[in-house]
Amino acid sequence: MRRLSLIAVIPLLLWFATGEVGAHAFLDHAEPRVGNKVAAPPREVTLWFTQKLEPAFSTVTVTNAAGERVDTGKARVSGTQMAVSLRPVGGGTYHVNWRVLSVDTHTTNGNFTFQVGQ
Amino acid sequence: MDWFGAADGGPMVATRAIHFAATAIVTGTLVFQAVVANPALRSQEAAAKPFRTQTRYVAWISLAVAVISGLAWVLLLTMSLSDESLGEAITSGALRDVLNLTQFGSVSQIRLALAILLAFCLAFERSAFWRWLGLGAAVGLIASIAWTGHAASTPHKLGYLHLGADVLHLTAAAAWIGGLVPLALLLGAGKHHQGRVGLELDVVERFSALGIASVATLILSGIINAWILVGSFHALVITGYGQLLMLKLAVFAAMLAFAAINRLSLMPRLALPSADTQQDALRGLSRNTLIEIGFGLFLFAVVGVLGTLHPAAHLVQ
Repeated sequence: MRRLSLIAVIPLLLWFATGEVGAHAFLDHAEPRVGNKVAAPPREVTLWFTQKLEPAFSTVTVTNAAGERVDTGKARVSGTQMAVSLRPVGGGTYHVNWRVLSVDTHTTNGNFTFQVGQ
Repeated sequence: MDWFGAADGGPMVATRAIHFAATAIVTGTLVFQAVVANPALRSQEAAAKPFRTQTRYVAWISLAVAVISGLAWVLLLTMSLSDESLGEAITSGALRDVLNLTQFGSVSQIRLALAILLAFCLAFERSAFWRWLGLGAAVGLIASIAWTGHAASTPHKLGYLHLGADVLHLTAAAAWIGGLVPLALLLGAGKHHQGRVGLELDVVERFSALGIASVATLILSGIINAWILVGSFHALVITGYGQLLMLKLAVFAAMLAFAAINRLSLMPRLALPSADTQQDALRGLSRNTLIEIGFGLFLFAVVGVLGTLHPAAHLVQ
């Protein structure tokens, strides 16, 4: 009976173990806001997450509609916040791709767009 | 590239579960010695000697398993982060980056230092100074796990509350569940020594008091952790994290039922004058302790999985 219970429980734990691969820091909000249109070109993109981040393993890139990088490079990470400066940009749609490692050693990634122009 | 594809799979879950269990057993054994065995065995040198030999083996073996599984945890995480094989992860600098540039790496180095200190203390345990220092190192070894998990990444002032609750939760779990192993050894030895039941009664009474304090701490800190990580009854029911937490609570409740039987039914029978009744009670306590250890090891497996899942509160708004 005990062996049967064990046999029943181990697959349950394995299912939990493999069912949801861990990613814990979710994007809370961003500036420019996700999907929004801003009139003036922003100097930087800032993202706020639900959990504290590891600076060495958290990155963000910003590309224009042609796929060219418009960010200046290394992201600045402090607590739950990550920011990257932008080179002077014109109007159009910009793609933000982020990948972060939370302090509890789980990664998550995502992307969003914002538009610049009237 | 999926940096963490392998980190949260079966090997990582198994490694974490083994590490939690081994660390809890070495800590629980030292807490048991300090709070239960040493006071009870003070005037029982004949019984104390074989028990101390057995618990020394338990402490050394569980410390060795904790160190090996702790190193495996660091290596698995590094391999997953760098998407490299074991050899590449070590030679490419990925291991150095994880150790030096992440909180997990810093905490792992501190915990390795605590494990080495604990080994020294176990080697020189005849002195009271080393025994107490060893107890402190063991508590530090289990409590510092809090800085590697969900509690470490909870932001703002809530993070301090979460860390505090997790430290208490881990320490209380180690004191109770880890302490069951030396208790089983002592009760098992008692079955072969009729007429020594007074010692077992003293030990069980002392462990019962430790268990009540541990369970109260577990419940209080568990409520705080659940409030932060689950947040609502709805999230408890509909998320994988919440459902696994309910399984953990069910196993915890079963352990409490056995502990209640021990305290309310079997322990009083140890005090009765009949030798047969005493031996029956001792056998019952021994059996129940082994069952509780089984439940406890299962709980560590559940905790090994829980740490790799999305906290329910993050999934349900």
